[in-house]
Amino acid sequence: MSPQEANRPRVGVVKLASCDGCQLTLLDLEDQLLPIAQRFELVEFPEATSRRSAGPYDVLLVEGSVSTPQQAEEIVHLRSRTQLLVTIGACATAGGIQALRNWADEPSWRAAVYPTPEYVGSLATSTPVSEHVQVDAELRGCPIDPGQLLELLTALRIGRRPQLSGESVCLECKRRGNVCVLVAGGQPCMGPLTQAGCGAICPAYGRACYACFGPREQANTESLHRWFGQERELIQVDRLFAGFNAWAPPFREPAGRAVAAAHPGEGADAPDR
Amino acid sequence: MIGIAPAPPGYLPRSELDRLIAILRDEGRTVIGPIARDGAIVYDEVTSTSDLPAGWTDDQAPGRYRLSQTGSPRLFDFTVGPQGWKRYTQPPRVPTGTAVREDGSVRFEAAVPDPPRLAFLGVRACEIAAMLVQDRALAAGPFVDDDYRARRAAALVIAVQCTRAGSTCFCTSMGTGPEVTEGHDLVLTELDDGFLVEVGSQEGARLMQTLETDPALDTHRAAAAAGVASARATMAGQGVAAEGLPARLMDRLDSPRWIEVADRCLACANCTMVCPTCFCTSVGAVSDLDGMVSTTERHWDSCFNGDFAKVAGGNFRPRRQDRYRQWLTHKFATWHDQFGTSGCVGCGRCITWCPVGIDVREELAAIAPPYEAQLPPVARPPSLDNLVPLPLISVPPNVLAPAEREVDTIVAAVVGVGSETIDTFTLRLEPRDHAILDVSPGQFVMVHQPGFSPIPISVSRVADGLLWLTIRAAGPATQALVRVEPGAEVGLRGPLGEGWPLERAMGRDVVIVAGGIGLAPLRPVIDELLRRPEQFGSVLLAYGARTPQDRLYTGELDTWRRAGLEVSEIVDRAGAEWLGQVGVVTQLLDRRDWRSRDAVAFLCGPERMMTATVSALRTAGITRRRIFVSLERHMDCGIGICGHCQMGPFFVCRDGPVFSVSELGDLFGREGI
Amino acid sequence: MTGQQSAAVELGSGWFGSGLSPHAVSRLADCCASVRTFAAEDIILREGAATETFGIVLDGRVALRLLVPERGAVTVMTVEPGDVVGWSALVPPYRATSTAVAVESTRLLAFESAPLRKALQEDPALAATVYPRVLEAVARRLGATRHQLLDLYGRDQEAVVW
Repeated sequence: MSPQEANRPRVGVVKLASCDGCQLTLLDLEDQLLPIAQRFELVEFPEATSRRSAGPYDVLLVEGSVSTPQQAEEIVHLRSRTQLLVTIGACATAGGIQALRNWADEPSWRAAVYPTPEYVGSLATSTPVSEHVQVDAELRGCPIDPGQLLELLTALRIGRRPQLSGESVCLECKRRGNVCVLVAGGQPCMGPLTQAGCGAICPAYGRACYACFGPREQANTESLHRWFGQERELIQVDRLFAGFNAWAPPFREPAGRAVAAAHPGEGADAPDR
Repeated sequence: MIGIAPAPPGYLPRSELDRLIAILRDEGRTVIGPIARDGAIVYDEVTSTSDLPAGWTDDQAPGRYRLSQTGSPRLFDFTVGPQGWKRYTQPPRVPTGTAVREDGSVRFEAAVPDPPRLAFLGVRACEIAAMLVQDRALAAGPFVDDDYRARRAAALVIAVQCTRAGSTCFCTSMGTGPEVTEGHDLVLTELDDGFLVEVGSQEGARLMQTLETDPALDTHRAAAAAGVASARATMAGQGVAAEGLPARLMDRLDSPRWIEVADRCLACANCTMVCPTCFCTSVGAVSDLDGMVSTTERHWDSCFNGDFAKVAGGNFRPRRQDRYRQWLTHKFATWHDQFGTSGCVGCGRCITWCPVGIDVREELAAIAPPYEAQLPPVARPPSLDNLVPLPLISVPPNVLAPAEREVDTIVAAVVGVGSETIDTFTLRLEPRDHAILDVSPGQFVMVHQPGFSPIPISVSRVADGLLWLTIRAAGPATQALVRVEPGAEVGLRGPLGEGWPLERAMGRDVVIVAGGIGLAPLRPVIDELLRRPEQFGSVLLAYGARTPQDRLYTGELDTWRRAGLEVSEIVDRAGAEWLGQVGVVTQLLDRRDWRSRDAVAFLCGPERMMTATVSALRTAGITRRRIFVSLERHMDCGIGICGHCQMGPFFVCRDGPVFSVSELGDLFGREGI
Repeated sequence: MTGQQSAAVELGSGWFGSGLSPHAVSRLADCCASVRTFAAEDIILREGAATETFGIVLDGRVALRLLVPERGAVTVMTVEPGDVVGWSALVPPYRATSTAVAVESTRLLAFESAPLRKALQEDPALAATVYPRVLEAVARRLGATRHQLLDLYGRDQEAVVW
């Protein structure tokens, strides 16, 4: 091994409760994969290599939300063995779609789904990694954007701050030349509230943004909620927030109402933790 | 039309418009014109009239835009769509240069603009006005956006006069339309069966000749005039009270309406994206994994974004209301100070394309209504119907002139790095091109490391052919900079900005008040004062720092004392071994008296420290006209083009960073400016 | 010149005493004032102890220090000529809020606390001229302290990961 290779940062990629899509984004960087592997030592990445390592890690990419007692313990151990912990994807940054159960009566749902629910060890809530340990950086999205992942790795290598803007999807739409599906199409597009990073891919195909990158800084959810509510029923507007980032604080209240409406009798308030 | 013999108008039947398009294409131009796509009229390549939106018309309202088909043969029966011609004159992403790292040295190359030859077909009066406004911002100097200038020069403008107006149009009240009066090569006015064609430039005259139009009849001229008049009439009463608006608006910086509109505003930046005069950009670094080849790229940004006004010490516009106020006051008020014209051309896009339908006309009327009492009692304001179009402030003929100064990035080698404090270092650089050493005290340079966006750093000394930069390692770029090995190379651009006006201090006592790293841009002043002490009176340096260990240039403070400067120091706190003063820097000015002495003061430090110091100095008898401060703002370009560093009417990078307190007025130290 | 005469002179010439009537000046000088000299590192007041002395610095410098066990004695302010030391002598519970140490040879126009308080209590007119000056001195100190609290020169607070 050359000295250059020996000095590569040790990178781990792990998952908690998730679909794996965000990890696969790293593999989707096809052309860049070899240069990345030459510059970063992938010591733990079960999707891609049989090589295993329990740490220490210079960089750990964590996908998935904390959904089981084992994961709650594991993330603490991982944090203690990691220099830089980066959460990737809506599950890890906001709790994911599975966080819809946070408002529900989890044991009764479990019993409804599984024949022997006592075999399933599940927490009442699905929560983002940041509610358990200190997170150093995050990549939003469902899944994350390959370009942003590459920017993160490049920034790590060069030592610059990663250029990940908290601007709205609207800027990406306008730079791309998309016609606004909200203003011209009347669709309930979440773009103005959503953090950019995807390149405004959905509106580019005439489909309203559904906020898979989660709320941006200072997202003014009340204002857009009011605007959408002028021509729609409250429940329809609330449902827009009950997606992959439902548990993110700016979206939580309308998301909770949407869940409550779907499951009358179960509280719309966030459970005590 | 300026300076050419007026050619008589022609008439072109609608079926013949294809000939115009064909001529333009044969001459090697891509014709960009309106097409109906995805529910809106957008500007894209047009190869024949069949691409044009025949029969389409638009219905616009705050937050709402709908196209409908009328079956009419008219090709231009709509107003403006979401994006204007800015897409082609100031594209969303423009590479400005490359930085290449090779064998330990670096190379910087500016991008050479190579724009396509275009013809814009269907440019409205408000859009021409917007181009002329952007010309002032980006191409009138002293620094020029080369790419913009080249693209403007490479595009022909074939205007179309509006014969209808939408509910969000208000060009009449901004004095920009609907008549097309300048800035065009040809202008068409659509009639029932064809177009009145009029010439606006030499190029247009040539085109018209090639086109061989029929002569226009009086009926054509009358129909054209009637069409435009009806557009004008539609806009009566739906505009803005533009006269006197700048002063009224700046008078209402504390209006509660700012908070109220911020409650509705999403800060989504749509208004700035669709606005044809907004020009703010950010500079990003696009590089390979190793940062060996890096392209700097300017991309559209917006003052509504959270990081737009961010600096290492915080954010000058953290709240939505700050940003909305910045946008509206810039557009309608301080734009006049900067460019001699309003920033708004009345196109109404920001109203239509705001996702929650915020209407600037309504906001302006609520925030800055006309002072009714000031109207003369007998005169009644003329109705907007009868207003003669306000002439655009005439644009100087050389508005697209070459820049007065080159701003290339030159290479400099790091000769040495010394530490001043635990987190502050001074780099000594040897530039390959010595012209950059001609620095006035207070100026700064943009420092460019391959793989990073350029950052502004004050020059803290020029000596022996070397440039000294004192840098606090506050973020990744500055940390990387202070870790460079001697011999490493970086890029420098400058010197930039307006420095300390030493000539105002000649023959006078000088008071220098520095806080923390603020001593760095003031050190060149001290160097200069010590070079020719006979030209100045007594000099006091009052220096405040966090702790004794955080003071800069400790080795020099005594040297300065021995050279005759009075040097007073104070720290926020200290251990028992410190025998000097502890407290705030204004305490060093207590019980001083500069009344009846024409003293001059130079200040640099955190803004709060500077405002407190200004109060203390005024109490001690120094007027605001003679107190100068150096401001810090977020800078991406350093040359007044990216828009980030604006503070009221000023571009801090270009009009400053040094300002007199009197010229800053009550904007200095104000929240959210 | 006696100690009290020189105290009267010093009192009359500084900001604290300016505008005081001759009666007030002599009353103050008589009851409890003297000019005292402290050498470097002499302790004038101890944090927490009863404030024996209220003084105005004539020359030199007094450091006000608080003890922080992990850091040792930290100087939070220095008092320059013209400013006051020991305003706590006039405010209950009459205990020093910091330790006042002379940093260099320092002359203090010193007032003994108990007699001073008694004199102010017995003479409301005197009190009406003295207390506003004490308040002003404390107010200026408060303003400065607030600015120090802002930590304007502070290093970046966020953990600079990138």
